[in-house]
Amino acid sequence: MIAFVSGGARSGKSQVAETLAREWHRRHGGRRYYLATAMASDAEMAARIARHRRERGDGWITLEAPVALDEALAGVEAGSTVLLDCLTLWASQWLYGSGLPEAEGGRMLSALLDKARLKTIGLVVVSNDLNEDLPPRDPAVWHYLAFLQRRHRQLAREADRVIEVIAGYPIEWKTSLKNSGKIAWENPWEGT
Amino acid sequence: MQLFIGGACAGKRDAVRSRFPGACWHSAYDGKALEAWRESLPRQGVVVLEGWERWLAAWLVEEPADDSLRERLRTLLANWRDLERETAVSVLLILPEMGRGIVPIDRAERRLRDLAGWLAQDAAACCEAVWYVRHGLVHRLSADVPTA
Repeated sequence: MIAFVSGGARSGKSQVAETLAREWHRRHGGRRYYLATAMASDAEMAARIARHRRERGDGWITLEAPVALDEALAGVEAGSTVLLDCLTLWASQWLYGSGLPEAEGGRMLSALLDKARLKTIGLVVVSNDLNEDLPPRDPAVWHYLAFLQRRHRQLAREADRVIEVIAGYPIEWKTSLKNSGKIAWENPWEGT
Repeated sequence: MQLFIGGACAGKRDAVRSRFPGACWHSAYDGKALEAWRESLPRQGVVVLEGWERWLAAWLVEEPADDSLRERLRTLLANWRDLERETAVSVLLILPEMGRGIVPIDRAERRLRDLAGWLAQDAAACCEAVWYVRHGLVHRLSADVPTA
């Protein structure tokens, strides 16, 4: 099972993602892994990481993966639960810290999803919705946003569940797609 | 009329292309002015109008009164509804959702954001279908019956 959970800042997306991960773990057992993309680059970031760790509680094994997401799954047992938080940071580290080609980022994400499916891992990916503000004027910010959105669309396409979080409430998008998609293809304009 | 709305790089264009493969496109990204929309009209079928953040930004420079701009946009929407009644052409708008950030300090950006929001409301009110595109997924927001 692959789930993609996203929302605005402090929308409660991490808590919703943890709930999904706990549900998978309750049904399938095994170990629970926290795939951390954040690096404690300064005191503020270290405090954020510590707060998230406190909120998660015990029982999570932390794996650090600022760039190489797929390699982080190498030692994870089949049937485990993996919570990746968050893709936004990974995207900035990929673009500005890895020195790797941009196109490889999509392949890295695909490799992560393939490994998760192969090992029947319950993978929950958390990210931030950043694209409904004014279009950025700075070309570097625009570039980052376009890269992140390509990854979001890739995840939304491949995930089994896509969930938007608003004020702690989960909204199921993938289920909605099934319903609205039918309406779209019955569009009278197209006669299909 | 139909409206597809969503944030930057949300997958709006792909959503429209896959549903309306034979549509004619009138796009600001091809350097076309909004006022020249008639040039892109097919004899019948769908015409897609996209690139609104560019068109609106250009209008804002030439017209200081926001109410006048909103009225001009409402007139355009009314023209397109008339066109649909009188011909076999259907109009499809792709609009950017840009109202979910911090209020911009820059006045021109505040005006652009306001105008985009008003346009979305006014357009949605006269469209048979409104679709919200998010991360490539499409969700129908509106009922079948137009509200205005």
